[in-house]
Amino acid sequence: MKKFKSKKGLLIAFITSIFVVIAGCSNNDAASQSSEGAEGAPTSIVMSWPRDIGSMNPHVYNPSQLLTQSMIYEPLVSYEEGGKLKPHLAESWTISEDGLEYTFKLRENVKFTDGSSFNASIVKKNFDTIMENKNSHSWLGVINVLEKTEVIDEQTFKMVLSEPYYPALQDLAVVRPVRFLGESGFPEDGDTSKGITEPVGTGPWVLEDYKKDEYATFTRNPDYWGESPEVEKVTIKIIPDAETRVLAFEKGELDLIYGEGAISMDSFNHLKESGEYKTDLSEPVGTRSLLLNTTNDKLADLKVRLALQHGFNKEAMVDGITLGIEEEADKILSTNFPYTDVEVEAIEYDVEKAASYLDEAGWKLPSGKAVREKGGQSLELELMYDKTDPIQKAMAETLQAEWSAIGVKLDIIGVELTVQIERRKAGDFDVDFWYNYGAPYDPHSFINVVAEEGWGVSEAHSNLPMKDELDKQVDKALASTNDAERQKLYGTILKTLQEQSVIVPVSYMKKTVVYQNGIEEFVFPANRDEHPFNEMKVSQ
Amino acid sequence: MFIYLIKRLLAVIPIILFAIFLMFVLIRFSPVDPAEAYLAAANIHPTDEILAEKRHEFGLDQPLLVQYVQTVKDVVQLDFGNSYVTNTSVWQEIATRMPATIQLAVSSIILSLVISVPLGFLAAVYKNSLIDHLSRLLSYLGASIPQFWLGYVLIFLFSVKLDMFPVEGRGTWQHFVLPSITLSLALIAIYTRLLRASVLDELENVYVVYGRTRGIKEKTIMVKHVLRIAISPMLTGLGMNLGKLLTGTIIVEQVFSWPGFGRFFIEAIFNRDIPVIQSYVVLAACLFIICNLIVDLVQLYIDPRISRKGMAQS
Repeated sequence: MKKFKSKKGLLIAFITSIFVVIAGCSNNDAASQSSEGAEGAPTSIVMSWPRDIGSMNPHVYNPSQLLTQSMIYEPLVSYEEGGKLKPHLAESWTISEDGLEYTFKLRENVKFTDGSSFNASIVKKNFDTIMENKNSHSWLGVINVLEKTEVIDEQTFKMVLSEPYYPALQDLAVVRPVRFLGESGFPEDGDTSKGITEPVGTGPWVLEDYKKDEYATFTRNPDYWGESPEVEKVTIKIIPDAETRVLAFEKGELDLIYGEGAISMDSFNHLKESGEYKTDLSEPVGTRSLLLNTTNDKLADLKVRLALQHGFNKEAMVDGITLGIEEEADKILSTNFPYTDVEVEAIEYDVEKAASYLDEAGWKLPSGKAVREKGGQSLELELMYDKTDPIQKAMAETLQAEWSAIGVKLDIIGVELTVQIERRKAGDFDVDFWYNYGAPYDPHSFINVVAEEGWGVSEAHSNLPMKDELDKQVDKALASTNDAERQKLYGTILKTLQEQSVIVPVSYMKKTVVYQNGIEEFVFPANRDEHPFNEMKVSQ
Repeated sequence: MFIYLIKRLLAVIPIILFAIFLMFVLIRFSPVDPAEAYLAAANIHPTDEILAEKRHEFGLDQPLLVQYVQTVKDVVQLDFGNSYVTNTSVWQEIATRMPATIQLAVSSIILSLVISVPLGFLAAVYKNSLIDHLSRLLSYLGASIPQFWLGYVLIFLFSVKLDMFPVEGRGTWQHFVLPSITLSLALIAIYTRLLRASVLDELENVYVVYGRTRGIKEKTIMVKHVLRIAISPMLTGLGMNLGKLLTGTIIVEQVFSWPGFGRFFIEAIFNRDIPVIQSYVVLAACLFIICNLIVDLVQLYIDPRISRKGMAQS
């Protein structure tokens, strides 16, 4: 058969040309993204986010992202370190003695990015559209007790509540929905739930460029009323995959990786140990806990609950699974939230004590058997976990092994998050993973769900002998207008909850950040949902 | 030919109806409530009030039969409604994202054809030579390497280490290189082997010997006769894969942050965004049918014997 000499040459030429093209291409795209610009170039930050930033509507949820909403829109009061509330768009406020009327003196000379003034009328207009869709925001306590709003004068705004509710100000510090859209951002009918015309806020950042699913660029608001951020430009690239995010960071296409779950614990430690980048962990943002449901007869017994809590090596589990990123939790709420610095007794790892509690509760280990029994029933429980969460899965497996050593059979079942929430709400579980809400929602949201049904937590506590008393204390704390009384009530509530062991604290969750050396200073925002760009300092 | 076309197009209707039925049943069998999934994605606690409101808004509080009839009515009119999550028309979402997916699919197909046609052909002509072994190796690799892993390896080597291409995103021609290679390697593996086997079969035919004895140039025999006929099975494969590529770039879009429809679909599944899932299923069914039809027509053009055989049978 005749061979094709000319074809062979063609093939070699083709392969060579591919290599020449590949070798010849230099990736100038990455270079253009660099933040450590030359002298005189604007200081910019490039970070990634897993989802598109959405419509930037301050009053709706999906698909707008909290991070970017907080860049454009501002609250009346801001939540600072340790739960301190500071004036923001409201310069000051007074609360009537009965705790029903909140009068805000609004900051003067604040302009929206459309040039309009920030005043009591626009604040009322925003409140009105929010309250038109009250049901959508019923998760937020202040919305449920807000009776009416009033414009007192150009710069004075009043909020009247139907009943006293001390966390009203904390609720106003959350990122959505109580933030303020400028006049030109409103649709014709004034109902923002259907959309806005443009993102007009008073915040330090302005959306300059946006390409759906690709990136969003923010520049400093030149007319910002407060102190301008040092960074001049922030680009948020949409990178849904966590591993790709790490690769982009290693290549230098990103300046930082920030956000809850933005990076796996493995990758965080890998980047940290490389020594080439800066890394940091935040103060606890929430507690990873187990919820033991007292509506289950076996778990209704305090001794069984205490046995389970004594029966696993929390420190080893947390350290091993979270690779040192999370911290072993002794208290249900970490002490960086207001009113939570309460003396309570930690429940230590003690297998013998666990076994003796179970013996005392009547759960005996028959000879030759591995599972304890009582009245012909075996001590078998089910733990439900979110199957997409690798930490929950690993912890469930560890607990299964640990509790089997004290004669408890734990069946673990992975479900979708929505199923987990639904079953929790219905009280249809034995043991479940549960997290509190973090700043600025806690501790008031936490005690609220202990008392109020429909969240699964109150249901889990329902067989406690002191449940009615606990509920009354919660109601009293939330309505209290006296700080000292409130502190006392929180102390009592947290102590009871700790002793009753329905909520078993496992670990304090922390936010992670990894950043390039060009960033000199990074400060975690006190509010869990706020963006971190205002305080960031970069080298020129 | 016209009747054949009409028949093929009419076959779309029962397939689409079956796809809608299957999709409706599967979504309703899922234990996840779309209203709850919406609220979970928004980090909102699903209170009974909000859930009832969302279910009403999405029409999920209607009896199942009413929902099904409404779904069929809407989908048949190609009205997919608004995405639950973005509250934007699904068609608008498709229009925003489909071009990126099509670009990636087309570039991958071009790349796989450019490599697999010469490689498969030469591997057959130079059987058991170095090029044949090389094509075999490439096929083994292409068939066995998972796409997401290949994507990460390519990013690590060519972006992070050699700094030749961007890690992710879209915008310049460099952005196409790594995702296209990732997508096309599996296709190259299939097409190269298909073409090689097909060319080897054709070379056994008497018309090749006859052509040579008539003194026809070897090049003419190979390109105009052998390759033309041998490429037919590969085109069938291509047709099947074209639909798959347009709907199945999901993993690659995720790994390379390619802003296409596949990525949007993944989010839609997690959020139980029914209108988006519906649109995807219907479009995918249509695409598969249309792509196969186009390939059949191209085959008729390339190999008129198929057409004659078909007519003789009818």
